[in-house]
Amino acid sequence: MCKNMVFRNCHSTKRKNKKKQKLKKCKRNYYASKKHSIEHVIGFLGNPNVGKSSLFNELTGSHQHIGNWPGKTVEKKEGHFILADEYFSVVDLPGTYSLSGRSDEEIITEEFIVQERPDLVCVIADAMRLERTLYLALQAFELTDKVAIIVNMIDVAEKHNLEINRKKLENSLGVPVILVSALRDSSLIELKKFIYDALHTDKYHFHPAKIFYSDKIEGLIRKISEQIEDRKVLKEYPTRWIAIKLLEEDNWIKSELAKEFDLDILLKTLEEIKEKEKINPKVEIAKTKYSGLHTIVTQSVKGDIEFKETLSDKIDKIVLHPIFGYPILVLIYALFFFISFSISSPIIDGMSYLLNLFAEYIRSVMIQSSSPEIITSFVVDGVISGISAFLLFLPLIIVFYTLVAIMEDSGYLARSAYLMDRFMSKFGLQGTAFLSIVMGFGCNAAGILATRIIKNPKDRIRMIVSLSFIPCAATLGVIAFITGIFFAPWKASLIMLGLYAFSIFLTLISSSILRLFMEKEDPLPLILEMPEYRKPILKNIYYLTWSRAGVFVKKAGTFIFSASIFIWILSNLPYNVSPEFTILGYLGKVFSFVTYPLMGLSWEMIAPLVFGVAAKETIIVALGVIYASGDLKSVLLNLWTFPQVISFLLFQLTYAPCFPTIAAVKSETNSNKWALFSILWPLFLTTLITTIVYQILNLII
Amino acid sequence: MTKALIDVKAGEKVDIFLINAGFKAHNFLADLGIHEGEKVRVVKNDYGPIIVEVKKTRVAIGRGLAKKILVR
Ligand SMILES: Nc1nc2c(ncn2[C@@H]2O[C@H](COP(=O)(O)OP(=O)(O)OP(=O)(O)O)[C@@H](O)[C@H]2O)c(=O)[nH]1
Ligand SMILES: [Mg+2]
Repeated sequence: MCKNMVFRNCHSTKRKNKKKQKLKKCKRNYYASKKHSIEHVIGFLGNPNVGKSSLFNELTGSHQHIGNWPGKTVEKKEGHFILADEYFSVVDLPGTYSLSGRSDEEIITEEFIVQERPDLVCVIADAMRLERTLYLALQAFELTDKVAIIVNMIDVAEKHNLEINRKKLENSLGVPVILVSALRDSSLIELKKFIYDALHTDKYHFHPAKIFYSDKIEGLIRKISEQIEDRKVLKEYPTRWIAIKLLEEDNWIKSELAKEFDLDILLKTLEEIKEKEKINPKVEIAKTKYSGLHTIVTQSVKGDIEFKETLSDKIDKIVLHPIFGYPILVLIYALFFFISFSISSPIIDGMSYLLNLFAEYIRSVMIQSSSPEIITSFVVDGVISGISAFLLFLPLIIVFYTLVAIMEDSGYLARSAYLMDRFMSKFGLQGTAFLSIVMGFGCNAAGILATRIIKNPKDRIRMIVSLSFIPCAATLGVIAFITGIFFAPWKASLIMLGLYAFSIFLTLISSSILRLFMEKEDPLPLILEMPEYRKPILKNIYYLTWSRAGVFVKKAGTFIFSASIFIWILSNLPYNVSPEFTILGYLGKVFSFVTYPLMGLSWEMIAPLVFGVAAKETIIVALGVIYASGDLKSVLLNLWTFPQVISFLLFQLTYAPCFPTIAAVKSETNSNKWALFSILWPLFLTTLITTIVYQILNLII
Repeated sequence: MTKALIDVKAGEKVDIFLINAGFKAHNFLADLGIHEGEKVRVVKNDYGPIIVEVKKTRVAIGRGLAKKILVR
């Protein structure tokens, strides 16, 4: 099948741009570390689940920094370690299967390799899945020579009596290879030394195996290369690589080249050849790489068994069982929510008690030092309560993310996506969208970040703007409080469950409705790797949780805080009047002209929901302030009618996303239009549904 | 004898003969090593996406797509 393909080690030309590199290095030094005179940049590249992050965490420990790649929503993880007084900066690139699918992740990786010119690109491979995970290395070879291969999970391979001949692998791939296990301390020391030696000694060579494709493909590559040899665009990229990308119909390369060349004729001839010869270059190219790898891997690995039912397969027989799989799923997620709330609520209660004490202490100090009353109120009820609202949110977020990280690291998250796929596809979504819904129950903004795993851009946008129909942890607090006042415990729990089911239904319906208005694109069906089950590594969980919680704190922290100040202004000015005559009171009254006849929501019921847009947990506090007379529970019990209670519960469930969620929509879609839509759409749909329910209830009762 | 991947029973090993999928799906499958001429083993095929073993990994493929993959 692959007669035309030859693997050969090619002696590379000396690195050009040496000078440029030096200059760049000096600049880097200046910013990064003044103490270490030499700095190296190393990129970590690899398939999902090969242990990239585990190795990265081990190498860099707490010296990590998480940010975003400029202009993209993809996380950028950087860290460093120091060896022999030299500074090694490590970049954990996003996990991808290839460098040709043209997702943001892949563009970032290619740009990083070519433009930032890392001193070394480490491709992490999995000892148990060498063929698959080395595919990326062959693609990297076409971009740069400075590649080293780290074969991870060697402990697992040993358990399976798999013998990997490092030397043979090194010879046939033409670049340095090391065998490690992220679980072993000794591996870590070896790895550091390996990286050091690769950069400093001539112990290792960098002559990456060059892949030759079939004559037809090579002919096309030559043809394209001749045309684009002297180009002004994409100069840093190797010509051969660009030619291959063009054959693979890479849109980005096409549009870049089109800036300088008239590609029409070329593309047309390409189309004709493809038609005539019945070849799909992209597939041919992948095939050639894989068959080359197959040869290499069979030559260097001993003890490989053709097929064996693994422990994971056996577990999956139960976990993915067409009948038992679903009760297990429900059980696991029920446990998941139960644990997140039951661990975090005592912490939140304790913190809330302490923060109250603190606030009252400040109040008394300020009163004693006779500061003006309005200043005292601003500091205590505005600033301090803003900080408290934010701090009180943290325990749940941290516990929640910890549990998600455990599910992710263990491999169950992929299984739940698998199980939910059939159900989700009825609403035009993939199983992977289920994960963002789960995250959304903790915090909508977090759920929006989790939509990154949805591959289709349009599916992703639909999910992003539909996610605010999911009640977050804060909304749950409001539901629990209100139902607790009006209903017996068992009825309250039933209503709560009903509201949850209803909101999931709304989310899916919203997504389906939006699909009608979006132009359809080539739908990407579910293709999802099922990783093996693994015992989660504590360190990974820890770093995963902190990096996510950190992003949340940065994104939402300032937002919640400034929103609290804003709300204080609305509800306290003019100062020293009853709530009815504050700005908020007037706003509420304006709204109630519409909401009262439609849904029975009076201004006292609407005004707190304005607070809710800042952060949902303030709704109850605001109710307390507005119905200032006596015990809130008994006051509400007397004033609200049954249809009003239901109407309030329904309306507050989904009426609008909170500020942090709106901020997340904006940053994830890069569009003000979608951010605005994410406010108006739930408001419209919720008003419609609540009105219908309220009017019917009024007729019956 | 050719048939669709969806009609293959769990445990059977088949040769991929033709993939009739859209451009993106076709490319993604190729990157995972699932392309014409490759052998895959069906690990699970009852309800929900079908799971195949290819190159020591397990990949779940939506049932709709599995109908468009011809094997023998
Ligand atoms: N037995 C064993 N397990 C490992 C090793 N390295 C990583 N793992 C486990 O493999 C799983 C994946 O590791 P990660 O470090 O999250 O992999 P990753 O490459 O960062 O994955 P993505 O972030 O999804 O791209 C985790 O469950 C780890 O605990 C190893 O050397 N041996
Ligand atoms: Mg990772």
